Amino acid sequence: MTLLALSFALYLFALWKRPLLYGGLLLQIAYMVSRGAELGRLPLVGPHDTLVFLTASIAAFAIPFGFTLKERDRFFAIIAAAAALFTAFAMTAKQHNSPLPPVLKTFWFEFHVVLAFMSYALFGIAAICGGLYIKKQQSTVDGLAYRAILIGYCLFTLSMIFGGIWAYLAWGTYWMWTPKELWTSILWAYYSFYLHARLTPSWSGKPMAYLGIVGFGVVMFTYLGVSLLMKSSHSF
Amino acid sequence: MKILNYILKFFLSLQTSLWLLGLSLLLMLVGAVIMPGNPAFQELHSIQLFRWITTQPLQITWWLWGLIGVLAVMAVNTLFCSVESIIKKRKVTHWLLLISPQVIHIGFLFILLAHLLSSAGAYKMTAVAREGSLIRISEKAALLKVNNINIKLDYYGGIADYKVDVEYIRDGKVFERDVIRPNDPSDKTGVNIVVKNISPYPREAVLLEIHSEPGAVWALTGGILFMAGIVCLIMLKVRIER
Repeated sequence: MTLLALSFALYLFALWKRPLLYGGLLLQIAYMVSRGAELGRLPLVGPHDTLVFLTASIAAFAIPFGFTLKERDRFFAIIAAAAALFTAFAMTAKQHNSPLPPVLKTFWFEFHVVLAFMSYALFGIAAICGGLYIKKQQSTVDGLAYRAILIGYCLFTLSMIFGGIWAYLAWGTYWMWTPKELWTSILWAYYSFYLHARLTPSWSGKPMAYLGIVGFGVVMFTYLGVSLLMKSSHSF
Repeated sequence: MKILNYILKFFLSLQTSLWLLGLSLLLMLVGAVIMPGNPAFQELHSIQLFRWITTQPLQITWWLWGLIGVLAVMAVNTLFCSVESIIKKRKVTHWLLLISPQVIHIGFLFILLAHLLSSAGAYKMTAVAREGSLIRISEKAALLKVNNINIKLDYYGGIADYKVDVEYIRDGKVFERDVIRPNDPSDKTGVNIVVKNISPYPREAVLLEIHSEPGAVWALTGGILFMAGIVCLIMLKVRIER
């Protein structure tokens, strides 16, 4: 937990000194590796581990994405604030330390979770770009948001496919009528809407930015809201 | 002729796609509110959607009926838009850029087809079995015999791993043997048999689930096509940008 607390501090100070963001990310990676070694598996179960992974993914994706921007200082400052916030939540969230049930010991599950959180991170980056675009209306920021969503959508779709294959092998069916599956479909349909809306001139500019921001709200509800409030195979 | 033209225009429009996507989102959001609080939806795990939906009151199923309708129109819209796009842009130099979105669309249609087939023809059966139990798994007179249930416990007393040896019997003769493990179902007779639950005490017992998912292959094919199309599209966009 010390490593995580240190990474939180570095993310917080990265609001003023950007290189500290890299330090925060490295410490978080070290924390995940140490936790993985301790548990003997990928630490991807429960709100604590998934929040840590989400934060590290946001920071890791933000680095290559941010360097293409003119507004990079502001962009990295927002990323640092978001990373600090999610790390703080992770530190207060419950750790899942008990052995996994046999059905979770498969690479289908691991890929399913890893890809889902990578896509969530990219949707988060797109939302931050959306916020920046509303303020300054720079086309590079808009382009970056689109790229983040396109790659995020690709990873999210792959995560759904892996989830379907895993569910078929584990429970005999690729689709189950649970709130999580329904919200996952809502999220997927939402970003399908985003990508199609982008092809029409009437949606270009600020409406797309707002769509990107609202999208991350849907992501957060699908991830935390549904898992914490509703009963499903994805409950925490 | 005017009406035909109007219908064609409607199905070829990107605005139609957006409206349909928006409408499907809205209906799913309504469903996400209705579904968790209603125990009737638990039954959906054991019977086909199309059989279940006709037996339930409209107050809880109207959004699903609406969604099925919207998805049907969306399927036609997707097909029309793809065909039109290929006809209109067939002379472009980047034919891969033209074909990738259409591959994504075909993948999506396959996934819809998968859900349609499963909603109409899927079935699920459950059975509790102990070592030596015989279960009739289909109308084709095949029996499943559970020979051996092997459970490995972890340090905390939880189930770390398990293995269930089974054999298939027809006309009194064993025609196939198999082992069911976590994430490794038995599918020797066209149905998928998984261990839903397993108990080591007081005597080893398993809760087996026997599934038939006619849409599974289509869903997988659709998923592969969808991914192939989207990966191709991203790679081409990156190349063109460079």
